[in-house]
Amino acid sequence: MSSTLIHSLWFLLVLFSRGIDTTETPPPLVPDDPPALLEKSVVLKGDSHVENVELLEPIKVKLDCTWTGNKTKLPNITGYWKKDGIEIDNTQVRVQLENERYNLKKVFSINKDNLGDYSCVFVGSQDGAKIDFHLAAPKMSDMRDKPVVSYVGDSVVIDCKSKKPPVYWLWYKVNGTEKELIDTGANSSRHRMHVNAEGYHSKLTVLLVNESDAGIYSCSAVFHIGASEGHVELRVITFIEPLKPFLAILVEVVVLVFLILLCEKRNSRKQNHSGNENQSAQTSKLAQGENGMEESSTIRQRKM
Amino acid sequence: MAPVTGTSLGSPPPDGGWGWAVLLAAFISIGFSYALPKSLTIYFKDIREYFSVSYSEIAWMSSIMLAAMYAGGPVSSILVNRYGSRPVVMVGGLMVGIAMTTASFSRSIMHLYLCVGVIGGFGLAFNLQPSLAIIGKYFLIKRPMANGLAMAGSPVFLSALAPLNQFLSDHFGWRGSFLILGALLLNCCVAGALMRPIRAKKKPSTTSSAISEGATPEKGSGDSPPSSSLRGEHIEPQKRACADEMSSFIDLSVFKHRGFLIYLVGNVFMFFGFFAPVVFLAPYAKHRGTDEYPAALLLSIFALADMFARPGTGLIANTKWIRPRIQYLFSFAVASNGVCHLLCPLSTGYAGLVVYAVFFGVAFGMVCSLMFEVLNDLVGARRFSSAVGLVTIIECGPILLGPPISGTLVDMFMDYKYMYYACGFMMLLPGIFLFIMNYFNYQRLDQEEKLRQSQAEAEPKQGQAEAEPRQTKAEAEDMGAVDMGVIKRSVAEDVEGESEMSQEV
Repeated sequence: MSSTLIHSLWFLLVLFSRGIDTTETPPPLVPDDPPALLEKSVVLKGDSHVENVELLEPIKVKLDCTWTGNKTKLPNITGYWKKDGIEIDNTQVRVQLENERYNLKKVFSINKDNLGDYSCVFVGSQDGAKIDFHLAAPKMSDMRDKPVVSYVGDSVVIDCKSKKPPVYWLWYKVNGTEKELIDTGANSSRHRMHVNAEGYHSKLTVLLVNESDAGIYSCSAVFHIGASEGHVELRVITFIEPLKPFLAILVEVVVLVFLILLCEKRNSRKQNHSGNENQSAQTSKLAQGENGMEESSTIRQRKM
Repeated sequence: MAPVTGTSLGSPPPDGGWGWAVLLAAFISIGFSYALPKSLTIYFKDIREYFSVSYSEIAWMSSIMLAAMYAGGPVSSILVNRYGSRPVVMVGGLMVGIAMTTASFSRSIMHLYLCVGVIGGFGLAFNLQPSLAIIGKYFLIKRPMANGLAMAGSPVFLSALAPLNQFLSDHFGWRGSFLILGALLLNCCVAGALMRPIRAKKKPSTTSSAISEGATPEKGSGDSPPSSSLRGEHIEPQKRACADEMSSFIDLSVFKHRGFLIYLVGNVFMFFGFFAPVVFLAPYAKHRGTDEYPAALLLSIFALADMFARPGTGLIANTKWIRPRIQYLFSFAVASNGVCHLLCPLSTGYAGLVVYAVFFGVAFGMVCSLMFEVLNDLVGARRFSSAVGLVTIIECGPILLGPPISGTLVDMFMDYKYMYYACGFMMLLPGIFLFIMNYFNYQRLDQEEKLRQSQAEAEPKQGQAEAEPRQTKAEAEDMGAVDMGVIKRSVAEDVEGESEMSQEV
């Protein structure tokens, strides 16, 4: 009994001593112990700051706020904590000025029900300061804001990437306000879709796309602490759509080439015609004359 | 009116008239050639997700396209030498159009490599080389400006294709966009249709003329000595047939050309450090702490500076002070790129990066605008199409290796400044090398010119040698001293080339 107590005490001591040096200590999750402790500390020089904290599982979070104060450094100010903009009861404390700074600390036990925005607020004589800690599951990275365009009969791959690998991935199709889970199991209507999930990535492949597949797809990365979502829109068009501009440009090209070559043929026929009317000497002279006319015009250009 | 002069092009470059239409055609062709591989990067994300491949695998598509574009140079040159610019550009346009259209139906990434990369790249090669060659055939006096204007097609098309590709991607996905791009690229055929071959004066309807019309009109009279104007109708069919045979292949005699070798050595080293800073401009800016949009804005500033620098440089290069010594301007442009990169790590803040982007854009535009003009100036219009094909295939290596090598430098040192120092040196040293070597080259050329003139005046040849300087002088009166030097030199180049060829025959 006493040995386990000593063991736990020693373990906690190690945790705290490590915590003093660094700003963030995510110790490994040990099942028998209570939720581990994550420390987040911010030093604020201005009047507000937002800090994003990514959590993977239920954990105790120690939020440490330090404020360098305003011009009038009162020896005593009040501080309190807010959650999602609403003051948390019984958190008002007096804050002393130590080493020209004000400090406020609190430990919160976070699980999937109480994720949100936690703020520490310093209330000075005229103004104050606020640091927001945004506690949430890791967001998706590189979410595309433009729709994925696919063609009827083609296949399409929708990709979701998360900053940290989740426990598992879920995919939904969003119909209006309803979310329908995409079941990639034996369900026959959905055998065209399969999900390939590898840690950071999850890919939804839809084969033989048809027009009813268009819409918003939602990928959900599920962690112990909760899920984080990303949305991708799928647009389905037929091949006729790009074919129209293609044919238009094709026609334009053919017409232009035809016109240019026709004009040239006509010019050269005029040359030939006028050339054949005269004798050979005159022919060369006229042919040279054509060049010569160009020449004289160009010589005029050169003179200019 | 002075009769047709003896440049081996058959008739003097018009320097205007239909030349402006040809310039527009070259603008379009060059624009598509350079801008398409770069602008396809917008589709990478969609294609990556669709085929589930990594970034480097999809980046191969652009690399293969660029490699095919440069490697196709000699093939393109051979075809231009034989058939002229027009058919080659039209075939090239068809190839790219069909390639992109087929690519829109592809089922695997290998199909993309093949269609877009190989076939598309070769199609673009068939657009690039002939466009450059035909500018040299239509412009002599105004050639630097024409080159500058035509090369300006690249940044203009890139600025237009980038938002267009984004729009197409949002509305049609990558498959529909490739289909539409295929149709758009068929406009290269329109550009090809505009590239009217320069008609040599009418030959009599003998077998010799039939052969001459079958071969390129631009090259037709190139097989005979410069005074074809005087001997016009008396070309021996046998000599013509043999010469045609030679001209149907690529002119490898450029490798004996002093100026060409200087150009080649300088350019090969330069290209190692040429494109990497463009590729790493935005990542470097982000590394220095700028946000995503201001970093992308830097690229736009760079492109804008590039866009105006190209025709501007062409204009400057055309002036009578610069044109005779245009090689110095090119070496200055290359060296200034190097200086820009060396000073870049010293810049502070976002404003410093903007200044760097502007100067880099101007220097980059100067080099691009002069790159082919100085080659034309060195080897002459007749051998230019062969020379440019050989140059592009040799430059293929450094162009493709440059960015990955710079990337490894960045990864090795975890700092961009060493890459910039390396690129700076890779451009400063060739610049200085080109400057020094061209100084000697110009001296030798002046000596040879004096020697040739004294020989020509000394020997009383029938109509040949006398008519030559007289003709050139007659034209030169219209154009001024500088242009006379240019024309004389271009005539001399063609004479030299032909004497080599006639020796081989």
